[in-house]
Amino acid sequence: MISFRDVVDRALDGPITSSKDFDLRLLVRTVRRLAKEYDVQYDPETPVSGDDELADRIWQAGVELFLEVGVYVPDTERRITFSRDEVELALAYNRGPILFGSGVDRREFPLRKPEDPTPPWCSLGAGGGAVSSEFHLLSLIREYARNPLCWSITTPSLTHVDGRLIVAGSPLEVEGSIRNMVMGREALRQAGRPGLPIVNGVASAAHASSHIAGAGFGIGPTDAMEIGAHHEMRVDFDSLNKVAYTLSRGSQIWAENGVILGGMAGGPATTAIVTAGYNLLDMLVLRGSTQHPFPIHFDLRTTTTRDTLWVRSVANQAISRNSWLPVANLGYVGAGPTTEMALYETAAWVTAAVVSGGSIEAEGVAKNAHVDYTSPVEPYFASEIAHAVVGMRRQEANEVVKALLDVYEARLPDAPIGVRLQDCMNLENGEITPEYREVYSKVRQEMTAKFGLEFKYPSIYL
Amino acid sequence: MAHKDDILQQIMEAFTEGEFDEIQPLVQQGLDAGLDPDGILDNGLIPGIREVGERFRRSEVYLPEMMMAADAWQEGMELLEPLISEQGGKAEPVGRVVLGAVKGDIHSLGKNIVATMLGTAGFEVLDLGVDVRASKFIDEAEGFKADIIALSALMTTTMPQQRDVVEHLLARGSRDKYYVMVGGGPTTAEWAQEMGADAFGETAADAVNLALAHVEGET
Repeated sequence: MISFRDVVDRALDGPITSSKDFDLRLLVRTVRRLAKEYDVQYDPETPVSGDDELADRIWQAGVELFLEVGVYVPDTERRITFSRDEVELALAYNRGPILFGSGVDRREFPLRKPEDPTPPWCSLGAGGGAVSSEFHLLSLIREYARNPLCWSITTPSLTHVDGRLIVAGSPLEVEGSIRNMVMGREALRQAGRPGLPIVNGVASAAHASSHIAGAGFGIGPTDAMEIGAHHEMRVDFDSLNKVAYTLSRGSQIWAENGVILGGMAGGPATTAIVTAGYNLLDMLVLRGSTQHPFPIHFDLRTTTTRDTLWVRSVANQAISRNSWLPVANLGYVGAGPTTEMALYETAAWVTAAVVSGGSIEAEGVAKNAHVDYTSPVEPYFASEIAHAVVGMRRQEANEVVKALLDVYEARLPDAPIGVRLQDCMNLENGEITPEYREVYSKVRQEMTAKFGLEFKYPSIYL
Repeated sequence: MAHKDDILQQIMEAFTEGEFDEIQPLVQQGLDAGLDPDGILDNGLIPGIREVGERFRRSEVYLPEMMMAADAWQEGMELLEPLISEQGGKAEPVGRVVLGAVKGDIHSLGKNIVATMLGTAGFEVLDLGVDVRASKFIDEAEGFKADIIALSALMTTTMPQQRDVVEHLLARGSRDKYYVMVGGGPTTAEWAQEMGADAFGETAADAVNLALAHVEGET
C-alpha cells in the first residue's frame, strides 16, 4: 500500500484546486453523475436494504468518486489523488488481524458481512459528548466497563478542569486532554479492566497539539486515536499531523467521518456514495484500522432519521462486502437519558448497522448538544440490541426498524432531552434511579413482545 | 426571440430545476429583449432563489443546490447591478451580516448553510470563514456596516470564544451597534443568554427568521 509519506507529498504538491471548485464543480457534480450512472436511489420503504447489487453499485460509485475527486487539503489548496492501481493494491493488502486491548481484554475486531452470525464489536461511550467534571467522567467510564459486552471505551470529553472552562487552543485544552486520558485509565483500573482499549484518543482535544499531549498519558499501541476528515472528502494538516504522530507511536486509528445528509454530500443516494468513498480515504489517507462513520441529518442532527438509517444500511453493506477496512458505526440519537424515545432510536440505528455488516460505537444522546445529558444505560442497551440482532435477515430487520420509526419518527424535531447524568444515576455507586430502571425495563420488554428481539444475556440493570 | 414573460418564467424554472448555468445567459437574454433590470430582479431572480430556499427548508433540495443557486444569483446580479445603478436605483439588501466560526473552531458546514440561507433571504453576507479571532469580527463588521454579527461554534471548548466576541464589543463600546446571534451544535438558548448574545438559532432556518425579525424591527 502507498506509504503515508507519499500521501503527505501529494498533499504538498497535488493538483491546485480552489475550495469552491472542489465542492461545487468537482465533488457535487461527480457524485450526482455517479448516482445516475450507478442507479443509486433512495427507497424510504427500506431503511434496511436487502439489495446486494445496490450495495455493490454504491461501492463502485464510491471508488470512482474517490479516484475522480481525491481528497482536498485546505492548507495547500491542493488535492491528494490516487491511481486505480494504488486503490486496487490497497484493497488487496493483507493487513492481518485488527487487534485492540491488552491482557484479558485483548480482542480481534471482527470483519463482518451483512447478516453475519459473528457478534459485532461494541464500543461504549458518549460519542464524545461533554461532561462537566472529572467525577462525571470517572463514574461514566466505570459503568461502561461494568458491561461485559463492552470491548472498548470512547471517553466523554471534559468541559472544565479544576472548575475552569476549557478554551480551545489554550493551555487549558492541553491540560483537559491530559486529564481526560489520566482519568479514563484510572476509571478502567477501578473497574478492574485496565486493558480495555480506549479508541477515541483524545476526546477533549480540538487540535493536534492537545491530541498528542493527551495521548502520551493514556493511548498505547493497543488503543486508538480518533482522527477525522472534514466535510466532505477534506483532510487538513491538523488531522495529518495526528496521523503522523500516531503512526510513529505505533497506536491505531479510528478514522471518523460523519457525512452530513443535506450538506455538501446532498441527499441520501449521494450521501451513501460519499460514505463508501470515505472507506478509501480512511484506509489510504487517515491510515485507519476501522472506518468510523455517522451519516447524520443536517437539520435534525441525529443518525436515526429514516434517510440516514438507509444510508447507514446501504453504505455498511457496500463497504463490508468489498473492503477489508471494517465499519465501527457511531450513532447519535435525538432524545436523552430516561426517555423511552432514546431507547427506540437506539434500537433502530443499531439494528440497521449490525445486520448490514457493521460494528457499533454507542452513543451520543440528546443530539450531544447538552452538557451532562448522557448516561451509561443507552450505550448498554445498544450493546444488548447489537447482540440480539446478530444473524437476523435484513428483510426482517427492515420490518423491525420501520416499526420503530413508526414509534419515534414524528417526534424527532422535538425530541425530549431527558435529564442529566447526576439526575438519573448515583455518581458514587453507578445505581440508576428507579424511574429510569422502570423506563428501561418497559422498553426492553417491548423489544421482545412487540418487535421480536430476543436478548442473549440478562441485564445488569434489572 | 422569446417573449419577455417567457424569459422571466425560464429564469424561475432554471432555479427550481437546478439548471443554474442557464441563469446568467437568461438574464442577458432578458436584457437583450428589453426587459427592465428591476423587473428581471423582482420577477425572475428573487422569486427563483426564494423558491430554492423554500425547497431547502422542506428538505426537497440540499446545500449544494442552495450554494449553486446563490452563485447563479450573483452571476445574474453582475449583469443587473450596473444597470440598476445607472438608472439611479440600488439593489439594497434587507440587512448586512458578518458571520464566521469563532477562534479555534474549524467547522464550516453549518455556518455555510446559514450564510447561504441568509443570502437567499436578501441579506448581504460577509463570511469570514473559520477560526476567526474576536477582533476580526468587529473590524470587519465596522467596515461592512453590518447590522448583525453571527457566531458559530461546534465544540464546547470553542463556545467561550463566542463570549469573547461580546466582551471585545463591550471593551470597544460597540456592543449596541450590532445584533449578536450565536449557533452551533452544543450551543443553547441558555448559553446565548448567559454569554450576552441577543439571539440563539438552533437551526439555519431559525437564524434566518431571527435575522429577518431583527431588521424588520421586531426585536
